[in-house]
Amino acid sequence: MSSGDDPSGSASRRVGDWPEQAIAEGMVTFTPYAKALGMKYVSSSPNHGEIFLPWREDLVGQGGSDIFAPGVLTALIDHVCGLAIMATFGFEARPATLDLRIDHMRPAAPRGSITAAAHCYKSTRNIAFLRAEAWDVSRDDLVATAQAAFILNRKEQA
Amino acid sequence: MSVDLAAVLAASPFARFLAIETQVDDRGVLAILPIRDELIGNVMLPAMHGGCVAAFLEIACQLQVAHETGTIAPARTIDISVEYLRPARREITYARARIRRLGRRVATIHAEAWQSDEAKPVCLLQSHLRLPDGVATSD
Repeated sequence: MSSGDDPSGSASRRVGDWPEQAIAEGMVTFTPYAKALGMKYVSSSPNHGEIFLPWREDLVGQGGSDIFAPGVLTALIDHVCGLAIMATFGFEARPATLDLRIDHMRPAAPRGSITAAAHCYKSTRNIAFLRAEAWDVSRDDLVATAQAAFILNRKEQA
Repeated sequence: MSVDLAAVLAASPFARFLAIETQVDDRGVLAILPIRDELIGNVMLPAMHGGCVAAFLEIACQLQVAHETGTIAPARTIDISVEYLRPARREITYARARIRRLGRRVATIHAEAWQSDEAKPVCLLQSHLRLPDGVATSD
């Protein structure tokens, strides 16, 4: 067998050709603040993203309550919206949050870890519109819901 | 009416995680967020994570409520609405909150964060907080 060609094609890949999903996963794994809060990538596909945040004592809002501070959910929800966009458009989208609204339906369960999922239901060349949800035990009983708009910096389609 | 804001911050593990500091002057509470690498959300710019700036503003709201009501019992966030005006650079960030209405159960609050120039806010936040029972109103 000749050794000239790499059957996987990986040798000829440049950074810009990475699958969107790998970029999206890296955006959770390598972003310093996401890492500092302990966010874990769950899944992503075009227009969708999901992140898990394990409960941690130093992220509690009021000592003794054992419940995440609301500001921790804000970061989780903002990040999962960014994930849904990156999973669709890749690194070049460079999404930046324009606005974000979060409703806190109820306190999370004490020592409860949180999962957040985002859906990008419409995007134009410049703007993406998303909805997101967060829950502790079951997606049928939400802790928070959110609505967001992001500005995109998409390259012109060739 | 004076309440120990350092005690309010000390009672919140997440406020300690962010290492938020505070001062009181004749305009109310000034909240201060020192920068560190862990707070970065975009390493290319670099810029602070939007979720971090918003969380800082939420805590600035809590501090202003504690300052004006004189209670350290925590108010609970009902909702927030955040607008991002500019990237928050890798710099020290300041915030002030203004209570627009202090009701019997709910406070309506606006807050803003800035960096080197207070006239150029990086982020605005509006929030409704559920007040602890027994807080005096100033209708």
